[in-house]
Amino acid sequence: MKKFLSILLALCLVASLAACGGGGDNGTAAAGGNEGGGSSSGSADVAVFYYTYGDTYISSVRTALDAALTAAGVSYQDYDSNNSQTTQTEQVTTAITQGAKVLVVNLVDTGSDDAAKNIIQQANGVPVIFFNRSVSEEAVTSSGTNVFVGTDYEMAGHMQGEMIGNYVLENYDTLDLNGDGVISYVMFKGQEGNAEADARTQYGQEDADAILTGAGKQALSFYDSANSNRYLVDQTGAWSSAAATEYMGTILSQYSEANGNMIELVIANNDEMAIGAITGLQNAGYNKEGGKVIPVFGVDATDAAKAAIAEGTMIGTIKQDAEGMANTIATIAGNYLNSKDAFEGVDAANVVGTWRVNIPYGTYTGE
Amino acid sequence: MAEKDKVKKVGDILLNNAMYIIIALAVVYITIMRPKFLSLSSIVNVLSLTAAKLPIALGIGGCIVLTGTDISAGRVVGLSACISASLLTTAFKVFPNMTSPMALPVVLLIVVAVGAAVGFVNGFSVAKFKLHPFIVTLSTQLIVYGIILMYLMNGVNNGQTLSGLTEGYRDFITGALFTIGGVAVPKYVLYTVILTIVMWIIWNKTTFGKNMFAVGSNEEAANVSGVNVAKTIIMVFMLAGVMYGLTGFLDGARIASANANTGLNYECDAIAACVIGGVSFVGGIGRISGIVVGVLLLQIIFAGLTFLSVDPNLLYIIKGLIILTACAIDMRKYLVRK
Repeated sequence: MKKFLSILLALCLVASLAACGGGGDNGTAAAGGNEGGGSSSGSADVAVFYYTYGDTYISSVRTALDAALTAAGVSYQDYDSNNSQTTQTEQVTTAITQGAKVLVVNLVDTGSDDAAKNIIQQANGVPVIFFNRSVSEEAVTSSGTNVFVGTDYEMAGHMQGEMIGNYVLENYDTLDLNGDGVISYVMFKGQEGNAEADARTQYGQEDADAILTGAGKQALSFYDSANSNRYLVDQTGAWSSAAATEYMGTILSQYSEANGNMIELVIANNDEMAIGAITGLQNAGYNKEGGKVIPVFGVDATDAAKAAIAEGTMIGTIKQDAEGMANTIATIAGNYLNSKDAFEGVDAANVVGTWRVNIPYGTYTGE
Repeated sequence: MAEKDKVKKVGDILLNNAMYIIIALAVVYITIMRPKFLSLSSIVNVLSLTAAKLPIALGIGGCIVLTGTDISAGRVVGLSACISASLLTTAFKVFPNMTSPMALPVVLLIVVAVGAAVGFVNGFSVAKFKLHPFIVTLSTQLIVYGIILMYLMNGVNNGQTLSGLTEGYRDFITGALFTIGGVAVPKYVLYTVILTIVMWIIWNKTTFGKNMFAVGSNEEAANVSGVNVAKTIIMVFMLAGVMYGLTGFLDGARIASANANTGLNYECDAIAACVIGGVSFVGGIGRISGIVVGVLLLQIIFAGLTFLSVDPNLLYIIKGLIILTACAIDMRKYLVRK
């Protein structure tokens, strides 16, 4: 009886595996993109390494890049480095042995140049296109022909700060709920030790302050004067909405309109945390459609954030142009494959020197 | 001699109730520094946070009683949250062919079934292949994460965060159960209370519960005395899976969005809470009340340190010290008994 049960379960397992495999085959072009391009020789010309498949924004880039490479008729293979530089470096080695002609790398470890230089060494003449996560000029130009397609990461913070400053200035009296002439705010930081999080936390508030004080208003004031950091950070370092919701609930149990110290502005490093903060506000009766709205700002322009902005429960975000980035990468990869100049067909206004392309950010406050 | 005994006895009482004493001290200290910590809205906040984190800990507790662990828990929560958020939504991205949200009870059944299915794989592998639960659940953790990623790429979603949940779903979880002094207590607090009572009955009043403790204390002895060890192990893991499924169902609406990171590392806090609450890795020891206290302590620390504006980096250190202390006290009891 027991034996029979074991065999039955083993069969079930096999059957479910087979079913999974079948599901993959029937998937859309994007889902089946791992073997995309359909190179019959089995080895892809372009190998693309993503730092993790779990990142919402990177998923947008992946979908767009898969589509762009397929449209260009280039064979490619995607790798998920699962947030581990070790994994990524090993994947690079594998891809090169398989005969990849161009590497597209979304580096995991941005803390030092070593990881990037190591990959360039491994590539041994095969051109590398780094993207999204920043790599220094020294590393990119250390040897061979490599480029970096990214964003000026400080730009997002500056643009967010400017957007916030202008919005607060226009709506000062409505926002100042307790009428004390000062806007009290809360800042949600995505993680410690990340250059983008640092820049957004700093400039999101500093640039807004510059606009406000320039117009003769008081600078923004962090809601909790005892907190010398002047931000709350996601303890798990995941820039997660859950962290923002939990912080917001805890804050609002202490600060309210009745106490005359309500939070009057929410700034978040990314849209996940912005959405999480909105949920926290909604649990306290704010930011419902048509109700009283505490302004919330994020970065990324994810679909969820765009929906919230359309509903009026969120005010603005900074758009990272996933498609623009993907198309630029696809163009450069095509140029490398056809032995053309790397930046042929790339918008010259975005090119920095001979090593870098900056994809511009844009503000998003609804369409 | 008598004097010495007395001192020892007092010391024992202090050590045995160390966690309650730490909680009391923490609350007193935070309240002195920030009197608002004991305001109604703050108490409701801490209780809500505890209610949100409790079901997963109740599930993992059973696995620890079996001298095991379950590190797939967080990902199962994530999968369940993603399933809930994709079916109870007004924006049908994962399943573009849907035109109206699924009925709430159906989705609840689906996530419970998914949780139980993962739990069954865990339990079956532990019981029949004699694998260590750490290895088994490490495997299922990876498998479930892969499924989440594939699920989020389904339809026209492209890996994006799922949001736009229906009002009905959100209200069912986060709507006001009752309002006391102008502070709304969310409905999920009630659900967690019910789950806790059910788990207490299962652990303490059913044959299955007694078998679980018997298997946890000594598998061979339990086997000899006629307990179906394999069935018990499978049931414990399935029950745990059901609890993760329910946690995800609550979390989807509580956070009002779900993505690939939802549930990440939830098992760490849950395991910590169990250990703090005296569920022993030695096996066969643990109480539901202890788990509640463990979860409560972690949430008091989280909320308290936010109130005190303490450097968040310290939270890790404080958490680590508390877990270490709790385990040391726990082992001391065990060594004394031996």
